[in-house]
Amino acid sequence: MVKRVEFSGDHLDVLRELMNIAVGNATASIADLLKAFGTMHIPNITISDIKGLKQYIQETIPSQSSHYVTKQLFGGPLGGEFIFVITDEAAINLGNHLYDVDAPNDADIYDAVIELTNILSATMISRLTEELNVKVQFFVPSTQIIKGNDLIYLEETLLYSQIIIISTQMEFQNQNINGHIFILTKDAMIQSLKDLIDQKLEELYA
Amino acid sequence: MKILVADDSKLARLSLIKIVKELEPHCEMIEAENGQVAVEKFQENAPSVVFLDLTMPIMDGYEALEKIIEMNPKAQVVVVTADIQSQAQAQVMALGAKMVIPKPISSEKMQTVLQQLVF
Repeated sequence: MVKRVEFSGDHLDVLRELMNIAVGNATASIADLLKAFGTMHIPNITISDIKGLKQYIQETIPSQSSHYVTKQLFGGPLGGEFIFVITDEAAINLGNHLYDVDAPNDADIYDAVIELTNILSATMISRLTEELNVKVQFFVPSTQIIKGNDLIYLEETLLYSQIIIISTQMEFQNQNINGHIFILTKDAMIQSLKDLIDQKLEELYA
Repeated sequence: MKILVADDSKLARLSLIKIVKELEPHCEMIEAENGQVAVEKFQENAPSVVFLDLTMPIMDGYEALEKIIEMNPKAQVVVVTADIQSQAQAQVMALGAKMVIPKPISSEKMQTVLQQLVF
């Protein structure tokens, strides 16, 4: 049985603040891409198990819509999964906006969603890992259209025992584009993340 | 000299206080964990400078900035934010902030900021 890693209030505070900086950078990058002004939300950080994750997603993502769900793995001293969820309506708006056409085709929409996810994950994860003084490698993202909010598949549930859910929302209201971001990390990587935060706290209290 | 640091993150407050104390050891540092507390502590303490985060619970930095400037139009408010969009920066400058600095803040940057403020 895998030992649970406990995070103190200070650990969570550090992680939230680092994510806040990361989200700020990502929002600015997407604002440049969309030539628009976006709203940042305070990242929500939860330590959970797979059941809790499923419940969290059900409470966060509307069940009545279809969603483009893009998943990208990252690995190294800190590894995990970056998930970007956008409704099909917002994805079409994104395609409209990026390609400057009224009716973007499916390939354009996929391309736009993948591009947005790439920028989001690269900016957010790179900023986070830079603050934690480590480097990570990104893997090729994949996108699927999912009806409802069942984003975690049966085979994936076996891979997780303890999960950190970092969740935030990005809103570009005038363009009707908004999406949910989840960063999941698990088991040994949670310990690794805790050790990196401990180093950060040691620097602070030195 | 009193300096008010308003940020919901303890890490952000401690980092900023540590940097300021290294540069200005005699400053009295006051902390606020959200915009509402920042406004109350501004009223109670009349600090020379306010370092204000934007994304905070209960009352965000935009609203706190408006209230502080209403109380004292000459208040020296430095917005310290992770939101590096130019529009957000323009918005807080229009509300009366003296300057905007991106997070995380370095000692060198803080030195420049303190030199530009009037004490």
